[in-house]
Amino acid sequence: MNKCRDYRSDWLAFLRGELEADRRQVMKEHLNRCSCCQKELRAIKNFISQTDNFHNELKETMAGIDWDKLQLTITGRAFEQKARREDPRPATGFKLGRWQPVAAGLIAGLLLGAFFTFLWMRSGRLDESGARKESGISLPAGFVQRVDLALAQRQTIDYLDRSQFLLLELVQSKTANQASSFLTQDKVQKLLTEKKYLNSQLNEIKLAKAKMLCDQIEMLFLELVQLSPQMSDAELENLREIIESRQLLLKINLVKKELQQGEA
Amino acid sequence: MERKNAGSYQSHPEFLVSRVKEGDREAFMKLVGLYQQKIFVLTYSMVREREDALDLVQETFLRLYEKINTYRPGENFSAWLMKIARNICIDFIRKQKARRKESLDSLSPDRIDLADSGQDPARFNPGEIIQKAVSRLPAKQQAVFVLHHYQDLKYEEIAGELKISAGTVKSLHYKAVRKLRKMLARQLGGEQ
Repeated sequence: MNKCRDYRSDWLAFLRGELEADRRQVMKEHLNRCSCCQKELRAIKNFISQTDNFHNELKETMAGIDWDKLQLTITGRAFEQKARREDPRPATGFKLGRWQPVAAGLIAGLLLGAFFTFLWMRSGRLDESGARKESGISLPAGFVQRVDLALAQRQTIDYLDRSQFLLLELVQSKTANQASSFLTQDKVQKLLTEKKYLNSQLNEIKLAKAKMLCDQIEMLFLELVQLSPQMSDAELENLREIIESRQLLLKINLVKKELQQGEA
Repeated sequence: MERKNAGSYQSHPEFLVSRVKEGDREAFMKLVGLYQQKIFVLTYSMVREREDALDLVQETFLRLYEKINTYRPGENFSAWLMKIARNICIDFIRKQKARRKESLDSLSPDRIDLADSGQDPARFNPGEIIQKAVSRLPAKQQAVFVLHHYQDLKYEEIAGELKISAGTVKSLHYKAVRKLRKMLARQLGGEQ
């Protein structure tokens, strides 16, 4: 048995023809006598024959490969990689790799956020300085103020014009009947309604003189509305006195002139 | 004669490596030509798929090119390159296993499970099972086994290739076969 162990490690070499002649002869002689080693050799042969199957498969596989083409492909790829590594493109400072799209998205998000924050803060500042919230258009506050003033002046002049026309008719009417036919309730009511809308502008824009005058005219119109459709001569005379005593027509002229100069 | 010697020197791996380090494309191509088939034998014996094995050959040479500056002159180039190829194959097999959600624990070095090859006797392929076992041998035993059985190299030639003695080659070969027979005792049965 001990002897068999001495031979065991050489059976592979024996089978593959890798032993020197002397050693081979010694092993042959032992093999003829030893059934145990004969069994071992059969097992090794059996195992090796299994690997030979793979050897044949490998040979067939390798025969189907274009080795020259593979050699060129590998060389090409290796030098392409080298060229990419040595590409002198300016470094970005840090490598983003596959996170590049995420980083691009974050940067875009930050820029958009900054832009909208800027717009929001800007519109907030306009609100504070008196710009119209409902305008929907962002304009410089001073410009909006000037436009508002010009509109208020134009509307006030318009209101004063029509009031002046009515008051003149009233003053120039020879009889109460003539005045009544001209001064219909509709016309007066329309001017009173217009004055209500004008009030807010006159308050905001601070047209003090115009406001005072418009208030006086309004008072007069309110009295007129209280009168019956067919006013009496006495009532007409009373109204004339009010107009003259308060110098309404003169004041209208003066305020109109002042407003027109302001427009210019 | 001198020209012949000069020619053989110029195709010596050490010389070629030194040229590749200087960026010589021709030298790299020669190195690939010298070793691509040897590497293929190793990769194919480990993965048993032609296309995968070819990809792994390419991967090996690309890695070689990347690491060429870490090669120290005098070192056994062939063994160094084989080690690169073997590591690449092991990574590849691990990734494949992970994809199949198989535990690496099932890869016992001393036993080959038939579960890998299927329990169906009709699909039982001894050659395939042996190859799986070969891929799990220790590096040196595997190199000797592959070079001897699949590249038909004699012990002396393997000794020259791996820069070890012929006696060591014989011993490694014996150990490899003994280990394989132990691994495959259950699957191949009989007088293994």
